[in-house]
Amino acid sequence: MSFILRRISTTKTGKQIVRDQPLPGASITLGRDGGNTIHVADLAVNPQHATISSADGRHVRVQASEGLGFDLNGRTLDIADIDSAAGAELRFGGHRLTIAREGENIILLVERIDELSQSSKDVDEARAFSLAAVMPGRRMGAWAFALVVLLAFLIGPIWAWHSYRSVDVRPQGYHADKAWLSGPLSSAHASLKNDCQACHVDAFVAVTDKACVGCHTGEHKAMSASHADASTAMLLAARHPPGVGEKVLAGFAKAFNKPQGRCVECHTEHEGAGPMPPTPQKFCADCHDGMASRLKAAGFKVDVADAGDFGTAHPEFRPLVRAAPGAKPARAMPGTGPLVDYDGLKFPHDVHLAANGGVARMAASFRGQYDFGKKLECQNCHRPDADGVRIKPVVMERDCAMCHSLAFETVGGVTRTLRHGEPDQVVADLYAYYRSTPPSRPLQLGGMERRRPGQYAEGQLYNIYFREVAVRPNRAADAVRAVFSKGGACYDCHTIFAPASGNNWRVMAVNQTPRYLEKGWFDHDAHKATKCADCHTAAPGSKAASDLLVPGLRQCRDCHVGEGGARLVKVETATESPCAMCHEYHSDGGKPWMPARQRKVNSAAITHKPLAAIYDVSLITGTEGRGLYDVTWRTPSLHGARRGG
Amino acid sequence: MASLFPRRLLGRRNRATQTERVRERKHEGFLRYANFRWAKISGGLCLLVITSYALIDVTPRPNGGSWYGYTLGTIGALLILWLTALGYRKRKMTRDAWSLKAWTSAHVYLGLSLIVIGTWHTGFQLGWNVHTLAWALMMLVILSGLYGVIVYATLPAALSNNRDEMTQMQMLEAIRAFDRQLHAAAQPLSPEDTAPVLASLDEDPFAGGIRARLSGRYPKDATAAALRALSLSHGGNADARQKVIGLLSQKEAALARLRAHLRIRAMLEIWLYVHVPLTFALIAALSAHIISVFFYW
Repeated sequence: MSFILRRISTTKTGKQIVRDQPLPGASITLGRDGGNTIHVADLAVNPQHATISSADGRHVRVQASEGLGFDLNGRTLDIADIDSAAGAELRFGGHRLTIAREGENIILLVERIDELSQSSKDVDEARAFSLAAVMPGRRMGAWAFALVVLLAFLIGPIWAWHSYRSVDVRPQGYHADKAWLSGPLSSAHASLKNDCQACHVDAFVAVTDKACVGCHTGEHKAMSASHADASTAMLLAARHPPGVGEKVLAGFAKAFNKPQGRCVECHTEHEGAGPMPPTPQKFCADCHDGMASRLKAAGFKVDVADAGDFGTAHPEFRPLVRAAPGAKPARAMPGTGPLVDYDGLKFPHDVHLAANGGVARMAASFRGQYDFGKKLECQNCHRPDADGVRIKPVVMERDCAMCHSLAFETVGGVTRTLRHGEPDQVVADLYAYYRSTPPSRPLQLGGMERRRPGQYAEGQLYNIYFREVAVRPNRAADAVRAVFSKGGACYDCHTIFAPASGNNWRVMAVNQTPRYLEKGWFDHDAHKATKCADCHTAAPGSKAASDLLVPGLRQCRDCHVGEGGARLVKVETATESPCAMCHEYHSDGGKPWMPARQRKVNSAAITHKPLAAIYDVSLITGTEGRGLYDVTWRTPSLHGARRGG
Repeated sequence: MASLFPRRLLGRRNRATQTERVRERKHEGFLRYANFRWAKISGGLCLLVITSYALIDVTPRPNGGSWYGYTLGTIGALLILWLTALGYRKRKMTRDAWSLKAWTSAHVYLGLSLIVIGTWHTGFQLGWNVHTLAWALMMLVILSGLYGVIVYATLPAALSNNRDEMTQMQMLEAIRAFDRQLHAAAQPLSPEDTAPVLASLDEDPFAGGIRARLSGRYPKDATAAALRALSLSHGGNADARQKVIGLLSQKEAALARLRAHLRIRAMLEIWLYVHVPLTFALIAALSAHIISVFFYW
């Protein structure tokens, strides 16, 4: 028996050359040191690593020294007995020792199996030097990211929509389609933020009016009414011809099945939290600017004038007037002469507002008793109503009676007056008065002069008196006629109808129109800081009650300009006025809604006018009196003649 | 052939090729291509968008759903798809007027103009939703691309300086040579001294994750550790140890060069790992954005 060390080398052509070297002795050493029988040039092998021996020539004992063992069948051992006939592979560092048997000899094959170092290993240059070696693939990342995004933001929301299709109100909690919310909802709709389907009912179908009207029933009716129940076709025909931008938008709308003329076109949503934005002028002007010709061209009947901007393009006001005595109220047609409104009264404003003359002197004589100054002011008779928006009707007892007395008799210090507003009672009272009282005694009957009886002949004293007594009740008719005729108490202010065909004396009904401008809104409260005569310029010169003293467009435009500041006349303190300041779409009888920040009036700029401006006004109105809103009126108790007259 | 292609067209093609040759001779990169033609076009586009945005009064307030928003959105979406097509286009090189260089130049500058188009499309209304997600992804893609352009313009010089006229494989080969020499020289060392050398040999020069690649710092470097260990070691074969120490420091220098190279290459490549996957995420988000708009119309 002997150990044979076999070495295998490979030529460049790949041919293997096997060299066998018999090793002397029954025990051989293996290690890195050159003195070993088997020299293994491997740093992972100890200088004296192991001893290989065989006692019987068949079994081989391998024993490691110096602590470092060897690997056999995957286990690290310090000693091992190997049947050379069965063979074995042992591992020392980067080398392999194969033990086999050939005939009587034990073959020891030693070969390097590991690379010398890690760097010596083959590398794929393109991969090793680039980031691809240490990063997950880009393609993988692309797919993964895209898939995650699609799942979370497309599939998820569609699934959420699908699962609540037949549910009226969604449960609370997160729904995947919230990720689609394009912007916060207005505060009125904030509760719907989890329930997209409340408005977006069907997939790929634009929000319909049905979804709005489902809740907003009243507004919808009011909207239709304020537009004369115009059909959608008429509303669409009224719109201005589209510009480039709107053509683009219309193109998108048409291409993607978005019908036009829906509520949401003006009432845009998802525009941010807070109240819905106030309707800008553009939304009105888009149709109303040049609308008449468009409607006419589309074959509709037109009875509304064009309006584009309050400062530059707005029709003259058409106040509600009675064009003739006793006529029905109708909207005036400006441009056909001066506007008149017959309310049934005779009232010359010029006489009452004059700075001197009888009225002023009489008013002055009441100072201290009533709130009069040196002369009458507008606010002495006209007063705002409770909310300040409108002016209360003038009431005779309160506003006229201190001068225009209806007193006719004093009984025990109490003055009896004719009953205002009840002509029949006036007649009856006068008859009763004449029946119950004797004529005033003739002068001759007074004194202590002794009178002889018998002077009853015509023309004599008693005859005159008794005749007076006898006919006294008949004088009542004259008095009644006098009071209802020119120079009489009623006639001075009222239009009187003489008795005819069974009717007694009649007074024409008095109608003080509470609101002249029915289509727009005028708020007196918002104009507190301004004097009456600043706007009602015709009042101080008006000679007849039939003069319409409602200011025209011209007066408004002294301060109010268009939304963008457009104006035709010079304006010192401009108030930008969008349509919605005076008009409203959903006529509900209240003031037009305006966001709080716009409600602030720049009244300081108006009240702090330069002195010259005040002086100009006082030329018309006289010296400054107390303001309309400053009156503390000792209100007499009134009966229910609220209608005026 | 002449009958298939009119002479006029061929002439134009030849002229275009001619111009391209001149450009190549002048070493004109994609940034300066055609005297900054695409930079001018893209700049003009941005200016047009910004001024028209200021001039056009969109009520009640600017957003993507106005006609102006739709227009910008359509341009932006088409631009994103076209920009993505560079990934396909770059695999087909040509030298004509629409050479890959021209295409890349347009890709870079039009991509930058997308910052304005996309952002102005939003009307500056951003929120936590898919719409803003698409915008944010777009911005990330653009910014990573911007980074890519900057590193392409600045880092190749550093890369070239570092490699000192060596190829990548030559750098690796140098390390291999030092390893072989180390292996031979360390044979006489004691087992205590061979262990660190062995660890240095066992170390993969390409080891280390993305962080090491980008920072260029390898705190657990076995070669440096071996150098330290051997310097402190006493006894045994001092001559052999000195030789090994010399070899180790040479290997360390070679490793440092390779790692600097890897770092610069990592910085040159890292943006693509953001740019490309996020582009596809962006296209997915963009699809969700567009579909959502029409779904909840």
